[in-house]
Amino acid sequence: MPTTTPWPTCTRFPLVSPWPTSTATETVSWWWVTWVRRGHEMKLKVYQGTGLLSENALPDLPVSVTTFLMEQHEPRMPAVAVASGPFVYVYKNLRPYFKFTLPPLELNPMEKSVWDQAKEDKVDLMSMKEMLEQIRENAEMPLSVQSLRFLSLDLPEMESFVNQYKMQPIKRQTVITCMATLKKNMVDEDAVSCLVIGTENNEILILDPEAFTILAKMMVPSVPAFLDVTGQFDVEYRLTVACRSGCVYILRRDSKRPKYCIELSAQALGLVRVQKNIVAACSDEMLQSYTQKGKKLWVISLPATPVTMSLLDEKFQSFQAVLVALANMEVHMYRDKNLVNVIQTQDIVTSICFGRYGREDNTLVMTTKGGGLIIKILKRTATFHKGDTAVGAPVAQSIKLNVPKKTKLYVDQTLRERESGVAMHRVFQTDLSRIRLVAARAYVRALECSMAPVSESLQEPLKMNAVVQGMGPTFKLSLNLQNMSETRAVANLLVSFLYDEKLYSVAQPFFKAPMLVPGLNYPLVTFVQCLSTQGISDIIKVFVLREGASEPLLTAHINMPVSEGLAAV
Amino acid sequence: MGLFDKLAGWLGLKKKEVHVLCLGLDNSGKTTIINKLKPSNAQAQDIVPTIGFSIEKFKTSSLSFTVFDMSGQGRYRNLWEHYYKDCQAIIFVIDSSDKLRMVVAKEELDTLMNHPDLKHRRIPILFFANKMDLRDAVSSVKVSHLLSLEDIKDKPWHICASDAIKGEGLQEGVDWLQDQITQSNSINEDMKNQ
Repeated sequence: MPTTTPWPTCTRFPLVSPWPTSTATETVSWWWVTWVRRGHEMKLKVYQGTGLLSENALPDLPVSVTTFLMEQHEPRMPAVAVASGPFVYVYKNLRPYFKFTLPPLELNPMEKSVWDQAKEDKVDLMSMKEMLEQIRENAEMPLSVQSLRFLSLDLPEMESFVNQYKMQPIKRQTVITCMATLKKNMVDEDAVSCLVIGTENNEILILDPEAFTILAKMMVPSVPAFLDVTGQFDVEYRLTVACRSGCVYILRRDSKRPKYCIELSAQALGLVRVQKNIVAACSDEMLQSYTQKGKKLWVISLPATPVTMSLLDEKFQSFQAVLVALANMEVHMYRDKNLVNVIQTQDIVTSICFGRYGREDNTLVMTTKGGGLIIKILKRTATFHKGDTAVGAPVAQSIKLNVPKKTKLYVDQTLRERESGVAMHRVFQTDLSRIRLVAARAYVRALECSMAPVSESLQEPLKMNAVVQGMGPTFKLSLNLQNMSETRAVANLLVSFLYDEKLYSVAQPFFKAPMLVPGLNYPLVTFVQCLSTQGISDIIKVFVLREGASEPLLTAHINMPVSEGLAAV
Repeated sequence: MGLFDKLAGWLGLKKKEVHVLCLGLDNSGKTTIINKLKPSNAQAQDIVPTIGFSIEKFKTSSLSFTVFDMSGQGRYRNLWEHYYKDCQAIIFVIDSSDKLRMVVAKEELDTLMNHPDLKHRRIPILFFANKMDLRDAVSSVKVSHLLSLEDIKDKPWHICASDAIKGEGLQEGVDWLQDQITQSNSINEDMKNQ
């Protein structure tokens, strides 16, 4: 890791306060474009240098902003496309130029006939509602927004709604979920590009840059969320589509259906193509890489949830890396699976764009959640350490371990194991069963003699634990007695100690326990004096007895510690 | 040095030659400044981005300047350091209106200052805060603050605001440079004589 940051430049300024959010940015050779939302007022802003160049109000929340070249004419000024709802707004020379609308979807004929009847007032509200509900449940084709809205209304509102809308033709419209660009027929930096849009209807459309007609239409099995496009429309192209289902589909020219499918471990939060490999950041905090054919290359875990990602393509040193903005206010830069740089930011970065900005080739533009804008310029002399880019096994695998030589005993043992493995297993199994039997017997005996510190008797379920405190020769013996029964209190219990009278003297060797209320813990304390000066210790047995019964309810064996206080005596 | 040369020198007929490097980011106005300093009949009309570098010559009252006008484009900036050894002064041009890239200029200046060929030499550096005619240009004081010029302690430096298209402020800078060079020359001669 370079000690000095390779990102010397940092210009920060707020976009607009107080509550702006921006999710999409795009740098063109001269400008940097973003959209900003303040309250309900949404704007498309174009910046030049550090100053605002133009501002356009947006009618709805945009999902994607991109720039593309529409035609060959000089001067080559890129157009800005803003996808929002079912529309793509195209701005040329920083002025609104064209609005493309997604073609309406096919309507359910039954739904259409219902509304036709409503137009002629041949149907009452209740039967209309019933019919629409039936269509919604049974038909494969979803209902139009108008019908769905109608179904969600309460009865009094329905009539005015029908009166208001029955004369209008019903439409079923889908919305755009993502947008990208695809070069038309040349690879040049300033070549004409087509717009590629993904819709909520599981479709991918490619639009003509001049006429805005649909050149190609493809279907994917789920709703596309991120698009990456490479190649040229007229020659050969490849679409990489990350869908909401957590799958990445790869489509090629002339394929109406996906050619490859990659199932990610979780939903993708970003998709980037590094040369011929795909890198996806997933919601389970994993960064995964696959080849174009869906072979998994590597997986690394990220320290936090990714927010967005972008490709860093440094052309001068031909250095490519992936930038991943994380929810912990850091932007991590990965070259293959090696982390090469971390950029700390003051806020969560919501969109990243790397490219030429004005006269600087390697500019990183980031917008933050709180509405800040960060511009960083990569140092000309920046070098990122390459990490272990070697393919194959990691370095650690080839380090020789200092394994000791095989001894004769080891060889003999393995030989024996090989020869009489079955017999050894049987012997082991017999011994294991025997030890289990012994243990079970001992447990049963302990229960029978009430030797355990837990009483199993249904009448008096008791629990006791004993603690010895002190250094000696006087010890404090605390017994914690607890009644485990749910409801019944226990009375008339006696506590007795059994011990070697030559060694110990107990202050109260026999006393009556108080009535035990269920659930409460009763600490009973007595003092024990060690009489021996030999430094020996013994066991003191504690019995909890029921009055009149000879068999104890519980027994505890206390291993007394050696009296440390001997020297003082 | 021959007797005739010496004589010419005393009489002020032959001027002393100095090598000067002209540096700065792309589009800062290096070529325009040098072009303006040349005699009016030798000035070019169209200024195009310099590729690699170009060598220009002009004279002042007592010195003959040979300027290495280096290209400021990112990909050519690694050429600069090869000329540090032979130069006797540096002209560093800054686009005062480009606030965004001021840090890039500072970065390049720092690299220049710390280069082993220049680090321990007391060569004069002249800064031109150029493009003062533009509306969003910052003042020369602000430029020197942005580039932290006050931290340069071991080299004589001077900043002047300039407008290379009109030629404003250029003469002031060149006069300062000439003074500095003649001063250091006389000191050198003194040391040699001792």
